Amino acid sequence: MNAAEVVNALLEERFGVARGEVTADTPLRNLRLDSLALEELRVLIEERLEIDLEEVSLTSRDTVGQLVAAIDGKVAA
Amino acid sequence: MTARQKPFSAAVTGLGLVSAAGVGTKATWHSVTHEVTPTNVSQQAELADLPCDFMYTAADLDTTALLGVATQRLMDRFSQLAVIAAREAVADAGLDPLSWDSSRVAVVIGSAHGGLPFYDQQSAAMAGHGARRVSPKLAPLTVINSAASSVCMDLGAHGPSLGVATACSSGTVAVGTAHQLLRAGACDIAITGGAESVLSRLLIASACQMKAVSTRREDPTAACRPFDVERDGFVVGEGAGLLVLERPEHARARQAPIRARIAGYGSSSDAYAAVAPDPEGRGIERALRTALADADVRPGDVGHVNAHGTSTVLNDRIEAEVLRRVLGEHPLVTSTKAMTGHTLGAAGGIETALTVLALEQQLVPPTANLTVPDPRIPVEVVRDAARPAAFDCAVKTSLGFGGHNAALVLTRG
Repeated sequence: MNAAEVVNALLEERFGVARGEVTADTPLRNLRLDSLALEELRVLIEERLEIDLEEVSLTSRDTVGQLVAAIDGKVAA
Repeated sequence: MTARQKPFSAAVTGLGLVSAAGVGTKATWHSVTHEVTPTNVSQQAELADLPCDFMYTAADLDTTALLGVATQRLMDRFSQLAVIAAREAVADAGLDPLSWDSSRVAVVIGSAHGGLPFYDQQSAAMAGHGARRVSPKLAPLTVINSAASSVCMDLGAHGPSLGVATACSSGTVAVGTAHQLLRAGACDIAITGGAESVLSRLLIASACQMKAVSTRREDPTAACRPFDVERDGFVVGEGAGLLVLERPEHARARQAPIRARIAGYGSSSDAYAAVAPDPEGRGIERALRTALADADVRPGDVGHVNAHGTSTVLNDRIEAEVLRRVLGEHPLVTSTKAMTGHTLGAAGGIETALTVLALEQQLVPPTANLTVPDPRIPVEVVRDAARPAAFDCAVKTSLGFGGHNAALVLTRG
């Protein structure tokens, strides 16, 4: 499962976001992800992919695509 | 029934219930008045090998179907139960959260342990995988007040709100506190009661060590048996019981049916022990006498008591002695805990709602599992079948670990 698939699956399963709501350009806040939810998502992604996103700076103004790119950077590293 | 005009009584206009005895008020009332054996009490994998490995659960409830993932994820289970019961109570009251004056709506909800199960899970995550695997939601999901804040957010209530924590009397103290807020004019509507869900191996292991819970593992459905000579401890249950209370003029102005009234409230502290009640029951006696005086009701007017009746050896005897001493021998006493389990901080909310129904229906639920009454219990406990009776006034009593006592006086609508 690649980063985009993991993010989409977590958004659907854990945050109740419908698949149709998500595109790469969708800001996370449009999916009702506030700063607390973003930190929760970070823990879930780290757990699922066994990576460390501590140094990745994200806000709910960032898009799903930017989040996926940040994860890809960590996975590649 | 009373000689003088009461100074203040809150109108009860809506009820919401969820517990092992049923999902919804109608199912719950049917269960506690028509069934003689609890159904949703069973062994739990989480509690395997403990001396008490069973619990009452709201097994018929699908929280995800009712709340949806996006709402559910912001709450531990006790808050989910509170929101489900609050929605029912508000709909039952005929209130529309889209049009009410939200600044005049208070939410007061009791819980003993809050989100203890989530705390357990996160503690295990930290022990197993380190600090980076701990959820950032620990505080908001586990604090006692999160049931109240969740209901505020779900319904759009912007008045005073608080969580009440007085152990097993939390639900009753919450209703009493809401009554006082209404009397003080701090709100027109109060959504109040209790919520609890503690399927926690840690908590039950400790309760077993304390010798407070029943160890009747061979027959869990018969384990909770209030006032019975063979009772050996309480059995934990989950649930929520919420009421909509209103200032009487507010209910009248919108022509809402008044199902019953909260006429008086009293509370007290034993200042005696961390767990055991005062051996003479002096604390619960003070709370009860205060509630009667607050309601301007004479002991002889009380026709029914929904007792705390936990099925522990000490509580049931001491509580019954106080009821006899204060009220006399005539009230029909019951404990509905054999059908719901001991829902701890939710108990007062659930049982106050059941007392409203008893007044409304003029029907006293039986104490399930009571087969041989303890001869040391000096009151008339209803058993075997629900008992029709004519009464205008009823009492709800609760006692909590730490010596927190509370009593409510209810009258017919």
